[in-house]
Amino acid sequence: MFAATRVLRAAAHAERVPSIKFLGRRTIPASVDHTPKPHPASPTHSLPSNWGSSTTFSAYRQHAQQHGPLRKTIGREQAGIGGSPGAALGPVKPTEGLYFDRNELPARFRRQPLTEAEIEAIETGCGFA
Amino acid sequence: MLSQRLIGRAAVRSAFKPSGLPVVVSPRLRRTYATESEEKDLVIIGGGVAGYVAAIKAGQEGLKVACIEKRGTLGGTCLNVGCIPSKSLLNNSHLYHQILHDSKHRGIEVGDVKLNLAQLMKAKDQSVSGLTKGVEFLLKKNGVEYIKGAGSFADEHTVNVKLNDGGETSVKGKNILIATGSEVTPFPGLEIDEKRVISSTGAIALEKVPEKMLVIGGGIIGLEMASVWSRLGAQVTVIEFLDQIGGPGMDLEVAKSIQKILKKQGINFKTGTKVVSGDKSGEIVKLEVDSAKGGKPETLEGDVVLVAIGRRPYTEGLGLENIGLEKDERGRVIIDSEYRTKIPHIRCVGDVTFGPMLAHKAEEEAVAAIEYIKKGYGHVNYGCIPSVMYTFPEVAWVGQSEQELKKAGVPYKIGTFPFSANSRAKTNLDTEGMVKMIADPETDRLLGVHIIGPNAGEMIAEGTLALEYGASSEDIARTCHAHPTLAEAFKEAAMATYSKAIHF
Repeated sequence: MFAATRVLRAAAHAERVPSIKFLGRRTIPASVDHTPKPHPASPTHSLPSNWGSSTTFSAYRQHAQQHGPLRKTIGREQAGIGGSPGAALGPVKPTEGLYFDRNELPARFRRQPLTEAEIEAIETGCGFA
Repeated sequence: MLSQRLIGRAAVRSAFKPSGLPVVVSPRLRRTYATESEEKDLVIIGGGVAGYVAAIKAGQEGLKVACIEKRGTLGGTCLNVGCIPSKSLLNNSHLYHQILHDSKHRGIEVGDVKLNLAQLMKAKDQSVSGLTKGVEFLLKKNGVEYIKGAGSFADEHTVNVKLNDGGETSVKGKNILIATGSEVTPFPGLEIDEKRVISSTGAIALEKVPEKMLVIGGGIIGLEMASVWSRLGAQVTVIEFLDQIGGPGMDLEVAKSIQKILKKQGINFKTGTKVVSGDKSGEIVKLEVDSAKGGKPETLEGDVVLVAIGRRPYTEGLGLENIGLEKDERGRVIIDSEYRTKIPHIRCVGDVTFGPMLAHKAEEEAVAAIEYIKKGYGHVNYGCIPSVMYTFPEVAWVGQSEQELKKAGVPYKIGTFPFSANSRAKTNLDTEGMVKMIADPETDRLLGVHIIGPNAGEMIAEGTLALEYGASSEDIARTCHAHPTLAEAFKEAAMATYSKAIHF
């Protein structure tokens, strides 16, 4: 009886289907395209041509100002040791007979420990008298 | 051994420090320049509707937030000198006007009715202070650090703040949100002094009712303030450059209708008229006006002139140039669809960027911007932002106007229903106005709703919901509405759109 009423009710409404439909709980799409797009209310419907030019630090430096434009020394002679990438400086391993650290040398070339008397002399200034 | 000795010496030296006594630091030595603080997840510049809503939402999302505001109170233009105080004046001036002119035939006879302007302003101030303090409490509740001062970009991640109490600080943020709002557009050659030549800020704080008031600009702000002072006894003339009042977004039929109603209430209109120059050197402020096409010069006089020609984005002192952010030709910060500036971690919402300068639009954007930061996904439907003019009767609309559809060559059908045929409006003796609904003739999908009538600002919420959901006019018409209510006029207009209204 109850089921029949329900069927009748459903039949009565079958002629009209509201255009608003329940889609279920909203979920965030699994993948969202974050590529910059013009704002919907933008009057020009476009982004400036230089948009996104500051997304990297080097791109930012291209137009950044500090007492005028930043100096562009990379790859130039005056840039010194930082002016070229590390790879361009050659291999890291020293060639034969060349040492990077004094402690790698034979013991006689290394720094000798200070004696108590030497420390006292340095601290009191007598060492330089 | 050496290190042991050094430690011993340091200990001896420190023994001479008067560590047991309070340390007195000379004021000259107090550090008043930028100091480092912990990095925030989000730094918001501006504590107006856009800024404070973003701050609360970000706090709710678990972000470490700082909100910088220089006004001294939160809420921005809307709460302090805009929507809220003006609504207080509109409501109370309407009551005053109704008691004076619209009570006898309702069976209410009153004695001597007096206006106490100071008390009217006090009531307005109380609503404002209650709400701004409420917002401050909400920031605290959501763990937002509220910094009172003026923020300025030092670099892409650092904002220097000139504190209101003196001194400076700086705050670092992984993300930064610009929400600095807008300011009144000045009228060239007529300096605003907020006494005789006023902006909307001065219009909510006049100390006496002017005898004659001139309003430059027949948009929403101009008409609301014209209503307030006209009800309180001023002789008001509104000067509008366009041929219609209400601004370009208002449906033409609605604009004509409300102009007639407001004229009947005593407001004079000069549409299609431009203000050529102004002179406030004498006791009376004079405006030289002419027809928009020229050839009909005239001089208008007023005790007070309200400049209400619009608002412009506010970015003064923000230091956008320090980080290379650009504005468009109208001073708006350029953003993409996710509210990012060209420096992606700096976003921007509200009046200072694209879209209509409305508080509720700013709120929507604020929430969406935080969701983009936190979840990578946000939503604002710019085709579905309601507008309300709080005159009496109110005017409200959402979606597209008839003239916009006509211009775009989009086919449409219209259904209207007058409040004079609505039972509740009849019992209230407030029957002016109508509901106008516009729908697609083929699919019946709702395209726009335009209302003039009592409580139109509340009723437009139903139209906005229907439009957002993509409802048909039949969907609205077949939804049961309580009787007797003003909302039945909404249902009947929907019925008139897809078929026929019952009561008209």
